[in-house]
Amino acid sequence: MIVRVEGVHASYGPALVLRDVSLGVSPSEAVAVIGPNGAGKTTLLRTIIGMIRPTQGRISYDGQVCNGLRAFETARLGMVYVPAERELFSGMTVLENLELGSYRNFRNMPERLSFVFELFPHLEERRQQFASTLSGGEQQMLAIGRALMGCPKVLLLDEPSTGLAPKTVAELYRQLARLKTAGLTMIITEQQVPLALSLTDRAYVLEQGSIRLSGKSADLVGNPEIKAAYLGVT
Amino acid sequence: MSRWPIFSRYADLVLLAILLALVPAFAAGSPYYLRLATLAVVYMGWTVAFNLIFGHTKQLFLCVGALAGLAAYVTAVLSQQLQLSPWITIPIGVAAAAGLGALFSYVSVLRGLGVIFVGIVTLAFSLIFQNLVLGLRQFTNGETGLVTRGLGFALLEHPLAAYYLFIVALTLALVVYSFVMGSRMGFAFRALSDDELTAELSGIDVTVCKVIAAALGSAIIGMGGTLYGFYNGIISPGLFSFANVDIPVLISLLLGGMRTRLGPVIGAAVFAVIEEFVRPFGQLNVLVDGLLLIVLFIAFREGLVVNVRKALGRTAMLWPTWLPALAPDDMSNARPSGKMSPRAE
Amino acid sequence: MTATLFDGIVQGLQLSLLAAGITLIYGLGGVLNLAHGQFAVLGGVAAKLLLDRGAHPMLAGISGIVAAGLFGLLVDRSLLLPAYRYRGEERLLLGLILTLGLSFVIDGYLNYVFSDFSLTLSLPIASVQIAGIPMRTAGLMTSLIAVMVFLALFAFLRWTLLGKTIRSIIENEVGAELCGIDPVRTRTIIVGLATMMAGLAGIAQGLFSSLGTEMGPGFTILGLLVAVVGGVRSINGALVAGVFLGIVNAFASRYIGAYVAFIILLATAMATILLRPSGLLARFT
Repeated sequence: MIVRVEGVHASYGPALVLRDVSLGVSPSEAVAVIGPNGAGKTTLLRTIIGMIRPTQGRISYDGQVCNGLRAFETARLGMVYVPAERELFSGMTVLENLELGSYRNFRNMPERLSFVFELFPHLEERRQQFASTLSGGEQQMLAIGRALMGCPKVLLLDEPSTGLAPKTVAELYRQLARLKTAGLTMIITEQQVPLALSLTDRAYVLEQGSIRLSGKSADLVGNPEIKAAYLGVT
Repeated sequence: MSRWPIFSRYADLVLLAILLALVPAFAAGSPYYLRLATLAVVYMGWTVAFNLIFGHTKQLFLCVGALAGLAAYVTAVLSQQLQLSPWITIPIGVAAAAGLGALFSYVSVLRGLGVIFVGIVTLAFSLIFQNLVLGLRQFTNGETGLVTRGLGFALLEHPLAAYYLFIVALTLALVVYSFVMGSRMGFAFRALSDDELTAELSGIDVTVCKVIAAALGSAIIGMGGTLYGFYNGIISPGLFSFANVDIPVLISLLLGGMRTRLGPVIGAAVFAVIEEFVRPFGQLNVLVDGLLLIVLFIAFREGLVVNVRKALGRTAMLWPTWLPALAPDDMSNARPSGKMSPRAE
Repeated sequence: MTATLFDGIVQGLQLSLLAAGITLIYGLGGVLNLAHGQFAVLGGVAAKLLLDRGAHPMLAGISGIVAAGLFGLLVDRSLLLPAYRYRGEERLLLGLILTLGLSFVIDGYLNYVFSDFSLTLSLPIASVQIAGIPMRTAGLMTSLIAVMVFLALFAFLRWTLLGKTIRSIIENEVGAELCGIDPVRTRTIIVGLATMMAGLAGIAQGLFSSLGTEMGPGFTILGLLVAVVGGVRSINGALVAGVFLGIVNAFASRYIGAYVAFIILLATAMATILLRPSGLLARFT
């Protein structure tokens, strides 16, 4: 298991958001975390990379415990987070955003750049444009592209489909599928359940801070509870 | 909580007034200490107003001294030049301060200025005010100062009576503060200081709230300024400078605790005491001031009131239930620092 | 009239140096350094101390600047630590108070120990003629140095990796962390750089008139005003705003009068902030 979360509790101020959450991801696996709004999906990802310190429990990456590490330290170790807000450098160009993404392995920058441009040709067209002038879909691609520039071993994506048109989402997930085939480990949280389940190998259902269900994505698609709650099928 | 709800809400203010009234007894008839106490009360009033403007509606008005000075000079000049009674000139002075404060607030909201910007603009105004007073020598007598003694406010020329008058004024200011904070507007203030955008989206008219807070606070500041002007016997620009007024007020508020009811009062009192201890150091007192500022802020991050409350909270069971002074004015100081609003997951 | 313009540019550049430092510290640390002016004074004091011991003026000047920078590093790693534990507005407020306290400490100490201090440096040639216009060499030299510093700064920020890292932290600290950038270490470097620029401004003051230990607060206020007018996160803005306000002040002083000139300066600053709240060069960082 390249990422292991064991018995983690986390809080936002006085409110306990994650209760006793445990999950694991094996190398080259794609895992989905689905659940309703407020379930704690974002908190989970933030806790994994270190933006939030868990009050209990353990998080290990590549065999090492990484509870106490800051976000930039886990990023340097190879676990990169793409938040829902994207957190791009809006006053800087697409190219500069990507360059900064490869901060931790600047020597490989040119190769990584061609890799990312090949994956997201739109970005290459707009390389000198300011990040703030990109469309929603392009910004999401830039955020993911920036994360990829650092040659991450694990990619954590928070609701990548938010605010994007269906066509853009489909395109995005196509590229994510390519990355998966290339061997990238991913943890994806999503509100758009069918998408997430179609891309990933396994999934966890997070509700009110606890894991309620888990299993192979293919199985969960057929699960009647999931179907009723998330797929709108009765 | 008790059979007399009004009483319990203002009980601590009455207690405060009584406490302050007893101070002259300890002054042992020394005019020096009486004057110190009087000045402390004036600054308490200014700090209460600043709490309203900055603590509750986040408008960093770095022009408290200038507003007070404006009111004082307007009142004094009108009284002197037009031979008008203070009953007329004081309201005009206060109105001038209130109007200007409201104007700053309105323009800032209109232009969407953030906290720092408001601070810088008002700071610029403070400096402009200083230079204006010096420049308009024919009216203000420039640096020499304008004599206010004998302009018609005889009561303030008597030290003890002046002291009690200021206590009455302070209590009035606190009553107004409590009344506002207890009203629906006060509720709006709390929402505002927590998250302005959300407050706006919840239907709270942020502009109205801020402007009213600024106007009210500036009026209190102006009131303090005019009364102080008469009390002092002479006013000069240096009296109302940024270093003389704004910095002590800022320190007092942060020391006592923002957004608490008695924080400003306690903060100003403690600051006055500290200043007295620091005085014998002469030139080095500025250095000591700075050290104290640093040490106190690292030690008492949320202000004295909150820290004392926490300490007393552990003995809460022993306190009489009708003592509301320990009840938090709003919960914002209970919030852990480094606030993060829970976002939709 | 060109002499006034020249004067304005010279003073303006000095203001820009101070403002750029404040902008950098605010952009990278989220702290408004109310003690910035005191760093300028410190630079001058250190230079004077060395001069008095017979050091070569160039050496004294450079040492003064370095001293200011080192002290800035020290402050960032000690005094400001409590502020850095928080984020956003809480950090801003705490940083404000801590730097205010620091400014008092430095001011009090310097005024007490060096009560008769005055740094006045003079150059061998008092003035030169360029294109028929007499200019004071002091002013010429300091503006040249300031311009070079800014050019170097811009080149650094635009082209080097460290420079881009700095810009990225100013843009978005969270985003930078996600890229693996350690904001703390970068910030310390920048605080050192910013305080060195302040030290340079202080020594410049000694060059074209004279520096006194009580000038700290004045420097800070002017630096703050210029920084805010330029858009508190924009270094280009600090440069433009400084020169602009310097010119305004020079012309107002020359043709109207010192008191009123200051009022005009302040009023211009206020007006600019009200008209363009996001800063003069809001669109271009």
